[in-house]
Amino acid sequence: MNGRNIWIMARKELSGINYEKTIIFAILLQLFVAMFSSFLMVGLTSMYDPSSVSQYSRFRYSIAYSGTNSTLLDRLLESDDFTVYSMGLSPALESLKERKLAAVIFVPDTPPDSKDPVQITLYTLQNDLQATVVGVKLKDVFLGFEDDLRTARASRITEQPIEVQLPPAARTEGFYEFVFGLLIPLLVFMPAIISASLIIDLITEEYQHETLETLVSTPITFPEMVWGKILACEILVPAQAGVWLILLALNGIRIENPVPILFLVSVASLILILLSALTALHYRERTAAQFIYSTALVVVILLVVSVPDNPLNLIVRASVGNAGLEIYGAILLVSAVAAALGYATHLYARRIGRLAQGSV
Amino acid sequence: MGIFSDIFTIARWEVKKSFSTMGRNVLPLAVILFILLILATGFVARSGMHLQDGMYLIATDDRELGNILASDGRFMVFIGDASTIESEISAFDLIIVNRTVSQPTTDRGRAAAKTLSRDYSQYVASVYSREPDLFAAYPLWIDLQYVKSELDFQATQSGQYISVRQRSAEPPLPQGPVVQVTPPPAVIPYSADDLRKNLQQDTGKNDQIARYTNLFTQQPSYSSFKTPDQLSPSLPFDSIIFVFVFIFPLYFTSQFFMMSIMNERIERKGEILLSSPLHPLVIIAGKMLPYLAGMLITSVGVILAARASLLILLPLLPVILFFLASALLIGMLSRSFKELSFISIFFSTIATSYLFFPSIFANVHVVSLVSPLTLIILQLQGTGFSAADYLYSTSLFYLTSGVLLYIGAVNFNAERLFDLRPFLPRLREFITSSLSRVHPYRSLFLANIFLIPFVFMLQMMALVLFFNLPMPLSLVLLIAFAAFVEELAKSIGVYSLFAGEITSLPLPTILLASAATALGFLLGEKLFLLAMLSQITDSVFGSILFLQQGALLLWMPLLLHFAGVLIVTLTIRAGGRRWYFPGVLAATVVHSLYNLYFILGAVR
Repeated sequence: MNGRNIWIMARKELSGINYEKTIIFAILLQLFVAMFSSFLMVGLTSMYDPSSVSQYSRFRYSIAYSGTNSTLLDRLLESDDFTVYSMGLSPALESLKERKLAAVIFVPDTPPDSKDPVQITLYTLQNDLQATVVGVKLKDVFLGFEDDLRTARASRITEQPIEVQLPPAARTEGFYEFVFGLLIPLLVFMPAIISASLIIDLITEEYQHETLETLVSTPITFPEMVWGKILACEILVPAQAGVWLILLALNGIRIENPVPILFLVSVASLILILLSALTALHYRERTAAQFIYSTALVVVILLVVSVPDNPLNLIVRASVGNAGLEIYGAILLVSAVAAALGYATHLYARRIGRLAQGSV
Repeated sequence: MGIFSDIFTIARWEVKKSFSTMGRNVLPLAVILFILLILATGFVARSGMHLQDGMYLIATDDRELGNILASDGRFMVFIGDASTIESEISAFDLIIVNRTVSQPTTDRGRAAAKTLSRDYSQYVASVYSREPDLFAAYPLWIDLQYVKSELDFQATQSGQYISVRQRSAEPPLPQGPVVQVTPPPAVIPYSADDLRKNLQQDTGKNDQIARYTNLFTQQPSYSSFKTPDQLSPSLPFDSIIFVFVFIFPLYFTSQFFMMSIMNERIERKGEILLSSPLHPLVIIAGKMLPYLAGMLITSVGVILAARASLLILLPLLPVILFFLASALLIGMLSRSFKELSFISIFFSTIATSYLFFPSIFANVHVVSLVSPLTLIILQLQGTGFSAADYLYSTSLFYLTSGVLLYIGAVNFNAERLFDLRPFLPRLREFITSSLSRVHPYRSLFLANIFLIPFVFMLQMMALVLFFNLPMPLSLVLLIAFAAFVEELAKSIGVYSLFAGEITSLPLPTILLASAATALGFLLGEKLFLLAMLSQITDSVFGSILFLQQGALLLWMPLLLHFAGVLIVTLTIRAGGRRWYFPGVLAATVVHSLYNLYFILGAVR
């Protein structure tokens, strides 16, 4: 094993990526994602947590109240979010269809302390972002009304839950858990996944383009060639992940412990890269290797995520600043696995190299 | 029938070949991986996802409360006495002392408080749902009724928030006729036990996952009755998750097709096929057939599994064709495996956004019909779609797939397939050989007609994107973007036909070429508008994209298009090929000013 040969090989692959301008596609992709990010942010976050949508509108919504008067009507009139009109049900529904109203509420004449439940009917527009927002705002009012009714029926309730005084609802915060708990581990591990599929391309290419014999006839040995390719892919991981972290910081999302995170990602991605290098060396054909790799990737990710204190979880905790020394332990553990896999890859590459030399 | 038997022969070869490369070695491992996948899924289902464990540190002096909170993995709970906790308040994201929650004013503290309040209401619900007198603990039930609004495009002209426009004391009365409805009954039509079961089921499961799995299982009919706490807002995103199930296998299969084309090229096996007397289209059709069949079979499988209507296949078909046509070109264009990987990732991101983002607005806006996926959502909901809807949302996909296939077929020869030059010059060459050098003006004219679907696709995407922005900004962005896309599209033909010799090109040729381009573009645009887009063009957004000059003569837009191409060609002629993009930008500015002038006129 010669360090310089490995470096020559890695440089060859990196300049190949640079020459083919394929990296431009990666950058374009990142730009494209950045362009859609505001949309993604709203869209994905509200998928993840619909109540965060409500901060996007500070309008007064027009709603119609129909049926018997109740404390619900008083609560709606008090609310800053709504302009309430008392209307007949039929014209109100027609106005709703014409989008002149955001919602229609019908309340029957059930007394508050009745044995029966009070069953009100809420009409909203189907599958509409506005309806989503109105629903969130109405929920608060309904909860208040439910409290009124519960108080009226309190004598019939046998077990009360532990009462906890919650701070006033913070409407402004909705993205934090999404950004730190999902987006950051996703973005940081994306380069690892890309690099692992890149190594398959680099290795199978030598086989399928039949350039392997030329390479093996140079002073560079087969294991050196494999390690050079692995190095080229590995270098890209912290570089890309680092760029993501910087971009996020520019967007005002500050991450704690960036260095241990990048370190952990680099070692963990080395495992992925080594696994796919082994797959590629075994199959020597891109379609098969990529197919096996992508299926195996899903299995590995599922297994990793279901274990407590997994690397992805540690990245989440480190990025919010709640991880102690565990992250260093994880780095050590993951490094050990990577070293073992690296040794296996080395042995396998050496065997293949000998066989190849024998045939040449 | 000769052609069909040829196609079948090639299709049989293709299947055989892919099985011989994939078959023996891959199958055992694939089976093992598949079993592992099922086991892993089961494992995750049992042990849960541990992604966000320990995100928040929380301290409390109440052991009972602490144990309740610890059941949520996101909280790391510390139980101690009140004085110790209060002395180290800054070490925690949230503290609960004397059953009162206080939090530091950090982002994390606020996020923790939000998670806590969600957990707390779940806990309260679990206590109340055990109550013997259910209607004392849950006195309020809400019957959620969705009303479908067919909003026409015109209604959004004054902005998106129709429901907030009313501010007067007068109730908003409908314009249309009022249909008399009988008020809903005051009694809930289900027994307390049924409702309790439903409540307990609901509190038992993780609602973040349940929200998406609910879609697959038939819901019991009383689920439209909810307590205020269950009032999860109506999410348009749910159906989109489901649509993803249809699209994902298509991505996967088109990858195999891409790879097969690429393999022919690098292993030079394609040469044998090329030397046969078969027409390239026959070869392409034959190679495509197995993948097409595979995609259709998977889709039918998914449809049957979801017990949905087979009509969903209709909108899927153009999407499948589009994927296959793009896969063909990507396989033919890329020089190396890594290029193939990057381009295909790039393509699928773009295609995903084009397909998915519009369908978020299904039922809300006609814009959503831009994507065929919207039709799938409508069909899943039971609304269905009309033939006009189908034509409107799929024609762009059919046309672009046709053009892409044509470009692929024209270039399916040894010279192009085994060439290893950079991507962009190759792409230009592909376009050049689709044009005729013998009849340059005629082919420029035709090429620009066929470019229109692509231009419309890009502009539609912009429309969907900018639709969400506030009004003046969305207009300006749309004007600039639409102009840029049109100028770029028009210049592609001239540029690829004359790029090599443009500096020495005589002026009359340039004028004639520009005229042919402008004519073709205009004709294509008008044909398209007449054919289908009348819904969108009636709106103010539409008039930016496809300026309707009812009162004006056609020579005005013709002159504009002519001027645009001329600006680009003359810039390149004067400055060389480096000046291509500045030329396009200059033409864009002219085009935008023209559009602004007429739209301001229209608004006034």
